[in-house]
Amino acid sequence: MEVILPKSAAAESKPSPQKLVRPAATPNLAGMRAEAVRLPLCFVLTGVLSLLVSGAVLLAQPDLLAMYHYTPHLIAITHLFVLGFICSIVMGAMYQLVPVTLETQLFSEKLVLFQFAAHVIGFVGMVWAFWNFNLALVGVFGSVLTLGVGLFVFNLAWTLAKVKRWNTIKFGITSALIWLSATVAAGLFVTASKFWTFFAFQPLAAMHAHAHLGVIGVFVLMIVTVSYKLVPMFTLSELQSERRAWASVALINIGLVGTFITVWFQESFKPLFALVTIGGFVLYGWEMVAILRARNRRVLDWGMKYFLTAIGLLVPLAILALALTWSGLPVNAVTMQLESVYGLLGLFGLVGLAILGMLYKIVPFLVWFHSYSRHIGRAKVPALADMYSVRLQIAGYWTFLAGLACLSVATAWSQTAGIRWGGGLLVLSLAIFALNMGKMLTHFVRPKVEPFAKKQTLR
Amino acid sequence: MTATPLTDELVLETLRQVIDPEIGCNIVDLGLIYRYAFQAGKLTVTMTLTTPGCPMHDSIAEGVKNILLTLDGVTEVEVEVVWNPPWHPSMMTETGRAMAGVRSF
Repeated sequence: MEVILPKSAAAESKPSPQKLVRPAATPNLAGMRAEAVRLPLCFVLTGVLSLLVSGAVLLAQPDLLAMYHYTPHLIAITHLFVLGFICSIVMGAMYQLVPVTLETQLFSEKLVLFQFAAHVIGFVGMVWAFWNFNLALVGVFGSVLTLGVGLFVFNLAWTLAKVKRWNTIKFGITSALIWLSATVAAGLFVTASKFWTFFAFQPLAAMHAHAHLGVIGVFVLMIVTVSYKLVPMFTLSELQSERRAWASVALINIGLVGTFITVWFQESFKPLFALVTIGGFVLYGWEMVAILRARNRRVLDWGMKYFLTAIGLLVPLAILALALTWSGLPVNAVTMQLESVYGLLGLFGLVGLAILGMLYKIVPFLVWFHSYSRHIGRAKVPALADMYSVRLQIAGYWTFLAGLACLSVATAWSQTAGIRWGGGLLVLSLAIFALNMGKMLTHFVRPKVEPFAKKQTLR
Repeated sequence: MTATPLTDELVLETLRQVIDPEIGCNIVDLGLIYRYAFQAGKLTVTMTLTTPGCPMHDSIAEGVKNILLTLDGVTEVEVEVVWNPPWHPSMMTETGRAMAGVRSF
């Protein structure tokens, strides 16, 4: 008996596959043993916990956002959000996504454990040291964090080295790893310069340059890069132009180098490099629209909606970036607060919302893999979308957007009450997300495996 | 217990119990099964996945093996995953398209 399929689809459209030319090289994903998902999941849980703590602190002390952002407590909260939430999630996700997007295996799982320990000790210590403005301890814990970052970069660099062919994804992730190392080095340099004199620079400008390097160079570039694989994958579409995708990453890189230098040294060429970076994002947006227009899956799930809305925030961010780099901008209370709004939209809005969207893909997969991969073909297992509540997901989406809008307007006008309302809505949205996370994690503790219905036809 | 004869319908119905958890559709209506052959107790399945590097690669292939081994008369199952021809949504059945919210061709 030999049967060629798909029967129905063949009758409808395409000819049946007759030649099987290229057998799949099993990516194996580091074996993707059930144990292998535990560490990425630890990173994710650390991230979610940090997110909840940063939201709660902002709710308790809304005045932090009503004043200029160069204060010890706000720097501490920013590092909790950036290192605790964003970095933890990005690192955990990268350990899972890099092998998927590049179709290879992770270089070493053991290194992940050591990196996790260094990361947690480093960022918790740094946040505590910033809160008390003990810069010597910031340097100590920053060095521990740097050790972790070094292990992360080393592990992923060796993973990337196994992929021979250069494509947009390898180019983007390699760039992001370089910027991650540079961001950490710049941060340590700024801290060290409080104790030793290297050369004269304006600390606030250096802090802004450091922040741009980290947010655009690491987080946004990683979001851009992995979305070139994940958005087509989740919407059943294809990358429409490899050249356009490559050019977008190249322009963002070039713009970032110029932005870092001009912001650090307060040069007048800032708008020029902002425009180059924005040019990269325009190409990125163009490619995303093309991918979405060519998609076969009509309905976008809410995880994708979170992610695409986050990308849409690049538009107000680009306008704000151009306005803030304009040399004729008057320096007053409102324009100074606009810098905080820019940071809020970039971190909470763009990066935060994109991560929440991706978490609705990553966490169910990790939990599903741990709990159900060994049961597939042996019993009835749930689909990923069955592991959380879509209603809660929708409620979280709208609450988040309402909170972000309220927080941005209130921050611009230094309105403490509005900041509290906006922060409250954001925390509510995060609580809804945590509830959905809880639903996903119940499958980790108590898998819902059911026997197949038509057992009589089987032996 | 009487042995159930191995028919196309039985093989396909059995394989329909394996789902792609991301898309939420079974692998037959998704059009992932390219061909199968049965000879002397050995069932050889040639299939694909929706995307190279699919994180479910090993799980789905293992799932196919597990479920086919439960059929009467099947003593060995070999699953070969191929990327050529690449999978395309036009390979889905109408049922699969409806389940996954994919446009018709």
